[in-house]
Amino acid sequence: MLSLQVLVNGLLLGGVYGIMALGMSLIWGVMRIVNVAHGALIMLGAYHAFFTFTLLGWDPFLSLPVTIGVFFVLGYAIQRFLLNRIVRAQLFLTLLITFGLGVVIENLARIAWSSDLRQVTPAYQGAHFELYGINIPHVRLGVFLSAAVLSLLFLLLIERTKLGRAIRATSQELRAAQLSGVPVGHIYAVTFGLGTALAGAAGALWGMLFPITPTMGGPLTLKSFAVDVLGGLGTMMGPLVGGLVLGVIESFTATYVGPTYPNLLSFGLLVLILVFRPAGILGPRGLSG
Amino acid sequence: MKRSLWLVAGAAVLAVVIFYFGARAVGGRAETVIALGAAISQSGKYAREGKFYVDAYKMTVEAVNAAGGVKVGGQAHKLGLTLYDDQSDPSLAARLCTKLLTSDKVNFLLGPYTSGITIAASAVAEKYEVPMIEGGGAAGNIFDHGYKYIFGTLSNAELYFQPAIEMAAKSEPPVKTAALLFSNEAFDKSVAKGARKWLDEHKIERIYDEEYQPATLDFTSVLAVIKSKNPDLILLAGHEENSLNFIRQSQAADVNPKMAVFTVGPPTGDFRKTLGAAAEYVYGITTWLPEMDHKDEIFESSSNFAKQFHDRFAYEPDYHVASGAADVLAFKHAIEKADTLDPKKVRDALASLDVQTIYGRLRFNPTGQIELPQTLVQIQSGKVVPIYAGGKPLNKPRYPTPSWGAR
Amino acid sequence: MDSKRRVLVAGAAAVCLALAVAPAVVSPFLVQFLINLFMLAAMAESWNIIGGFTGYASFGIAGFFGVGAYTTGVLLTAGHWPYPLALPAGGVFAMLLAALIGIAVLRLKGQYFAIATLGVTETMREVVYNLEITGGGSGLNLPMVQSPLPFFYLMFAVLLLSIAVNRRIATSRFGYGLIAIREDEDAASAMGIPTARYKTVAFALSGGLAGLVGGVFAYWITFVDPTEIFKVSWTLRTIIMAVFGGAGTVLGPVLGAAVLASIFEGLSAELVNFAELGSGIIIVVVVLFMPRGLFETVRRGELSFRHLLRQLDEYRA
Repeated sequence: MLSLQVLVNGLLLGGVYGIMALGMSLIWGVMRIVNVAHGALIMLGAYHAFFTFTLLGWDPFLSLPVTIGVFFVLGYAIQRFLLNRIVRAQLFLTLLITFGLGVVIENLARIAWSSDLRQVTPAYQGAHFELYGINIPHVRLGVFLSAAVLSLLFLLLIERTKLGRAIRATSQELRAAQLSGVPVGHIYAVTFGLGTALAGAAGALWGMLFPITPTMGGPLTLKSFAVDVLGGLGTMMGPLVGGLVLGVIESFTATYVGPTYPNLLSFGLLVLILVFRPAGILGPRGLSG
Repeated sequence: MKRSLWLVAGAAVLAVVIFYFGARAVGGRAETVIALGAAISQSGKYAREGKFYVDAYKMTVEAVNAAGGVKVGGQAHKLGLTLYDDQSDPSLAARLCTKLLTSDKVNFLLGPYTSGITIAASAVAEKYEVPMIEGGGAAGNIFDHGYKYIFGTLSNAELYFQPAIEMAAKSEPPVKTAALLFSNEAFDKSVAKGARKWLDEHKIERIYDEEYQPATLDFTSVLAVIKSKNPDLILLAGHEENSLNFIRQSQAADVNPKMAVFTVGPPTGDFRKTLGAAAEYVYGITTWLPEMDHKDEIFESSSNFAKQFHDRFAYEPDYHVASGAADVLAFKHAIEKADTLDPKKVRDALASLDVQTIYGRLRFNPTGQIELPQTLVQIQSGKVVPIYAGGKPLNKPRYPTPSWGAR
Repeated sequence: MDSKRRVLVAGAAAVCLALAVAPAVVSPFLVQFLINLFMLAAMAESWNIIGGFTGYASFGIAGFFGVGAYTTGVLLTAGHWPYPLALPAGGVFAMLLAALIGIAVLRLKGQYFAIATLGVTETMREVVYNLEITGGGSGLNLPMVQSPLPFFYLMFAVLLLSIAVNRRIATSRFGYGLIAIREDEDAASAMGIPTARYKTVAFALSGGLAGLVGGVFAYWITFVDPTEIFKVSWTLRTIIMAVFGGAGTVLGPVLGAAVLASIFEGLSAELVNFAELGSGIIIVVVVLFMPRGLFETVRRGELSFRHLLRQLDEYRA
């Protein structure tokens, strides 16, 4: 049945949207930094997966832990040495500096790796199976499940560990956190590291689905905004729910309205939600749920 | 008090900077060099294809110079080449073209990549009445302004799918239904317009006819709908990335038309490399193949051109590259024909040019666009095989395309 | 006081006169560069009204720029309006649209406002994409005008207008109200300032001016395309220029645009395909070391290595 296939398509892609937007929401919620370079970091994650696949032969799913590790360090460094300098400055300054950072990363990538299209093409590339007449490609399912597992691990980290508590405290009540001895500078760096690790992992997953180019990041940053706003800015579950919802909405719009309309819907929704229900689907600012 | 001083100082700094950058011309160019200039996308989203033209222009200029240069008034002149990066930005491209013409004082312009940028750049060339030959834009709206100084070496968009549809109409088992999917840019809309004409002419029913945005990555919904309608023929007009995504996703979605044709992608090397086995049986369109055996005095033959290019730049050239090379060659021939560097006379020489090159026959129609026939090709065992052109079959196609599961 | 004013006025008059005769004297490339410069400076001045004076960092200025461009373009081509009518119509339509959108969006604060305005720009692009009358993805082709001179003077006029508007605001009660909103909106409201109305007017003025710029740009470049005209880098470059020059001052954005545009253009000419990389580095450097803008930093006497390095610690966690 067509509608069921459309629904499944939307959910599968929506899972990636969710993990993609999660990193941005985390950074936003904790540090109040809008990271316009988010898409550029996703792009780096995709290239990382590509190079480990082509040069080292690592399966892109299995190399995810490495991606996460590498990008955590990268994010930590970016925050500690660069972004930390402007953390308490006005909002639009953080937007500007992350925009500049994004431009730099994108251009360095182009200069280093050229603009040629890259793709991660493991042997099981086109494989798929049928379930009650619904076609499900292996890679899409694998990507969805990986995104789900990563999200789960992340939520466990945030909810159940001491580090997670410290992060949540810093986000909700900065002064109190400082007073109770939370090393805020370190927490910020860890948070940015986590956000970047999520971006890198999302990039690796995305790179299994779509071609990789230095300029792929821009639209993904915008998409992450839409997902975060839809699901609830600064929340943890928000982006995941928002991603699934947006994925499904886009899928149905492309099928039943026309392929040129999904973006109109996403951004129109972004504006409408901010105006009428800024909390999004899942709730208020600060880390919750 | 201090502030006003600083304002004046700031304005002074500004003035110095402006005049420094604006007033200086490119230094020390020999009198006998014929300067060609171009703003081309070397960064930004069109950088990938822009590189094809950068490399083509460079190699062809060098080859022309090595073969004795361009003869004007009994003297041999070398060609010079000045390239700027338009960063995939049309308004920057327009400014850079102005700079090329007025500060760098190039004699003639070569075109950028992609129709949107070409439109902006061509307006500048037309304003200054300097010929520009471009090989990267084929949209109708470049050539329907009535500009006199703009010439293009990519054929009319509406003709692209003609050989594909003609062949499809004659095939056994027959092609009765078609799905048409096109990006909503000017070029692809023109391609679609032409396609509808040919489909109607051959009585093939259009059961799906939709446009999509060029930046679309995910075709799964579209494929779900197409699969449910089960067309015999799929026609996709778009950029290489669109073709790549569509094919990969159609494999995963198990969509099996008898024939799938793409305007961009199949003739290009990295397309086949990236898709690997999934590229088999895919049809494409090109005005040029190395095997076409066109000859000229600069490169001897198209296959020789391809070999030289591959040796130099480590990738196989496709029709974009050949089109770029043709732009330089057209200038060489036109300048020699006009026997002067006067822009107006060279323009007239271009308008009446009719010469064979490794790209094919260089002849422009009254609106300035070249009229080269399109060839339908198919990827067979990793090779690009010409199948059909000019109303005649050339090689046997592997038709119908076997389903994904049966390969 | 008087002599300072006289120096300023004389200086301004001299600059204006020099620019007015420039096309006759300088190279055509410089003319194009100056048109581009006037455009960026006018955009920066427009943004300044809502971003600088009012403190509401709008990320939607590219949107109204695009609205003005498309409105003027459509009226010119499909509507067959003469340009002297189409251009102001574009500006007016952008202004009205900004007022309408502002009523909804100005209720948001800080980052929400920024993201909402970004979303508005994206939505506008998508709407234009899907409309027949704007040419959809193929864009709009405008007739070509042989000489760049009309655009030189038009863009200059729009720039002067935007400066005049800023100046008028800076010395008016309305302007003080905007600054009060920027400093502390609740207190301003408590003092009786009609904050919602003031914000909306500021947003509308900003949008209208950007629309005028767009209308001139469209005709100058002869081709309007949704992906190009609504792209987010117009907004971000506008903001960096305004900030660099000094957001919230009358002439700061113009000077910021002048310096940065010259530098970016010089990079494009000299560094070729490293130009964008260079501009990204400059943006990062400017925000890190001179977040208050070049001229404010200089005015405070802080343009020394010691101070610049100290700046690195000012906003840290």
